[in-house]
Amino acid sequence: MNTNGYKTSFFLASRSIMRGSRGSLYLTVLIIAMVFINMIFMPSIIMGFIKTYEDQFIAYDIGNILVSPKTDDQYIEDIDGLIERLNSVPGVFRAAGHYSTGATLRYKGNTLGTTINAIKPNDERLVTNIHKRIKDGDYLGEGETGQIIMGIQVSGHRDKAEDMGPTLGYVSSGDSVTVDFTNGVSRELRIKGIIETGSYTTDQGVYITWDEMESVLGHPITEGSYVIIKTDPGVHEDTVKTQIYRFGIAEKVQTWEDILKEAMGRAIADFAMLNSITIIVSLIIAVVILFIVIMIKTLSSRRQIGVLKAIGLDKGIIVFNYVFQVLIMTTLGIILGIIVLEAMVAILTAYPFQFSDGSVTPVVTTADLVNNTVLLYGAGFFAGYIPAWRVASEDIMTAMRA
Amino acid sequence: MIEVFNLSRFYQMGHVTVRALNGVTFTIKKGQFIGITGASGSGKSTLLHLLGLLDRQTEGTIKIGGVDVSTLSDHERTLYRLKKLGYVFQDYALVPELTVEENVFLTSIVRGMKQTEYMQRTDEILKRIGLFDRKTHKQSELSGGQQQRVSIARAIVNGPEILYADEPCANLDSESSKTVLDLFKQINQEMGQTIVMVSHEDWHLQYFDRVITLRDGGIIRDGIP
Repeated sequence: MNTNGYKTSFFLASRSIMRGSRGSLYLTVLIIAMVFINMIFMPSIIMGFIKTYEDQFIAYDIGNILVSPKTDDQYIEDIDGLIERLNSVPGVFRAAGHYSTGATLRYKGNTLGTTINAIKPNDERLVTNIHKRIKDGDYLGEGETGQIIMGIQVSGHRDKAEDMGPTLGYVSSGDSVTVDFTNGVSRELRIKGIIETGSYTTDQGVYITWDEMESVLGHPITEGSYVIIKTDPGVHEDTVKTQIYRFGIAEKVQTWEDILKEAMGRAIADFAMLNSITIIVSLIIAVVILFIVIMIKTLSSRRQIGVLKAIGLDKGIIVFNYVFQVLIMTTLGIILGIIVLEAMVAILTAYPFQFSDGSVTPVVTTADLVNNTVLLYGAGFFAGYIPAWRVASEDIMTAMRA
Repeated sequence: MIEVFNLSRFYQMGHVTVRALNGVTFTIKKGQFIGITGASGSGKSTLLHLLGLLDRQTEGTIKIGGVDVSTLSDHERTLYRLKKLGYVFQDYALVPELTVEENVFLTSIVRGMKQTEYMQRTDEILKRIGLFDRKTHKQSELSGGQQQRVSIARAIVNGPEILYADEPCANLDSESSKTVLDLFKQINQEMGQTIVMVSHEDWHLQYFDRVITLRDGGIIRDGIP
């Protein structure tokens, strides 16, 4: 078929769309829009969930990069030296060391086993955002002793129904808790602040200062459990990781992506499969509906198709007339779908879904829109071509007698 | 211009072979207005479909302008119909979503004609058939006679060598039929258009230069009405 053929097909298709049944057109466009939304919305929520988890992981847990002991080592030796070297690596904004140990917290008959992290608050403020999420009280100050801060999933809510696991049964800033360390030392520590980030993992954290931990251990701490690093804005973590290794650091260095890939790789793969199933089901619905629409259109126009062939229109022109109709309806459906989707995203950004691990807003990328548009056009082409081809392949006399 | 030799069309209906057209031979000269008549089932529409390359014969040959069109491939026949033949059908067969002028110039787009050229031709034809002021109307806004006149305009807009009409007045009242037949006659006389028309109305015969009468798939009369 030549250019004139395609021009004729498009001419017929556009007139059919403009002057054909409005009700049928609106319904078909609406269905395509719904299919398009279905293809993108559910995956966008899953992506939003993953994004929220990633953001929280970076903001409250490990920063951009985690440096942990070499395999078989329990601690990093000379942690101050390591932090000094890390801070000199290009791309590192700040490194902060953590020393973790087991402890038991007690308050008014409630006992809770937990891990206590010793931190240097001034460094920590530059790496994580926990200091910005103190719900009650204040964040730790550098060199302070006798103070402790803890997540709300440790302190407990006023309303116990909001607790997601065992807690101290609602303590607040100013209260004192008894902390039994694994070395046998027991301390009464005043709660300086309660952390509430929305991330269940972070809200289970308990922190004291480095000085407090040294006091508990009875000697200066030269080793650490791990170091968390915040990178300079705009610098890719992999580049910084490479730089760290170039600086001769022998500890295990992982970006947040490396860790999540390890921890959530299977979950992400499952989500991806769920997304694929959603998209495939949506495409099947789109194909079936468009197939039926075009099948009905072509079957009810058999005589007209025969006449068009009789007056000299090639089979290809007739087939592409219907293909163009589908593609026009698909385009209108996609445009409507994008408008509705953007509206839904705007509303859900203002009023996000609240999950246990934080607020989730849908994440719709341009790539999602482009990929799903291409898929829907492909499905539309297929759904328009097959029924039109079947009817247009009839010989003229059979079609004209229909 | 048209040479038909021993043309037959048989249909298989179960175990029975129906001989719709049985070995007809005749010629048509350029510029003639031919009527094909006969009772229902005589084979007149079958003959028109074969002459118009809408159907394939079982036996025999059709030559138009010396070209044996019975051997053309489907694609070649489509192109031949587009470029050399025009059709007017009993039920007008206009595209309902198109306006009057769009129905008329539709095949001109396929032929790759420039828009200014086909718009000019369409206007000329619509003026000739008296529907210029209705050119933006849709089929549903026209009477049966007007629809058939649009169908004629569509058939002649590209200047076909032969115009075929299959009982074009069958759905029209006698007044509209007369208007349509007058138009055919006018086109035949003023433009020298060769027209082959199937009809079963006796009063139509006065319009034809020559009448071929069929019965049971064979010619029983061929001459001046």
